[in-house]
Amino acid sequence: MTTTQPVTATAKEPRRVPGQPDMWVFVLFESLVFTSYFGVYLYYRAQREEAFLQAQSHLDLWLGVLGTIVLLTSSWSVARCVQTARAGQYRAATRDAFLTAGFGVAFLALKIVEWTGHVQAGHTFTSDDFFQHYFFLTAIHCVHLLIGFVVLGVLVHQLASPDRRSQETVETCATYWHTVDFFWVLIFALLYVVR
Amino acid sequence: MKTALNKKTAIDKRLLAVWAVLSAITLIYLWIDRSADDGGAPTASTAVTVSAIILALVKVRIIMREFMEVRHAPALLRRLTDLWVVLMAASLLGMYFVGKAVA
Repeated sequence: MTTTQPVTATAKEPRRVPGQPDMWVFVLFESLVFTSYFGVYLYYRAQREEAFLQAQSHLDLWLGVLGTIVLLTSSWSVARCVQTARAGQYRAATRDAFLTAGFGVAFLALKIVEWTGHVQAGHTFTSDDFFQHYFFLTAIHCVHLLIGFVVLGVLVHQLASPDRRSQETVETCATYWHTVDFFWVLIFALLYVVR
Repeated sequence: MKTALNKKTAIDKRLLAVWAVLSAITLIYLWIDRSADDGGAPTASTAVTVSAIILALVKVRIIMREFMEVRHAPALLRRLTDLWVVLMAASLLGMYFVGKAVA
């Protein structure tokens, strides 16, 4: 009889914070730091629109869109990882974690290709205001991404042994990875699309 | 067992739908960018800037609610994250318009 229970039963589960609350404090704090920087960028940009537009025209929007979708896909797979781990399917969860790292590496490769192209074309950190913001924002994001790989390593290590498995840690790691993703969503819009 | 399987399929579908929506919004940027071009050099546009920022924040909220599971979180976290999205929107749009006014 109980096997025909509707799939919407999840709504009745008790509400709880995903992962450790400390990670959420970090997410909210880091969001404020990024928001401040974005604000400064938009403020200066609005005052020198022509110069910013001219430099911005050297960015490839398609490459930016591709990178964004790759990173969104990594977020999707780490969200899956949380759910498969919750269902006790640890092999599948580990596979999802590796898939996430794979998409992260693909994003990083795209970034390196992009950076190399700009530097070869003579657009560097010191060439103009726009590229200074571009290199600063993409680099600081990349640092967060690299930390993300360490976080995924912790996740895989946790999943590997029944003694270490903790759903809270899995969720904490995923929360960090999603944060790296949504920071990029904002950076992408501000660097590639805003005009 | 069957329930768990049903639940899992429903979850997979939902996550995939969320991913599709986020990707579709990302593709809208290509359309916005193209429709703002007059064939010549790119020109400044408040409409493009404002919609780019708002679309990005819509994506951020979807990522928080769905991927980060805030939708199942206690009211405090749900309200805090929503407040943050509003705060980000106010700061970004505010700084942009102040910058334009000062220019």
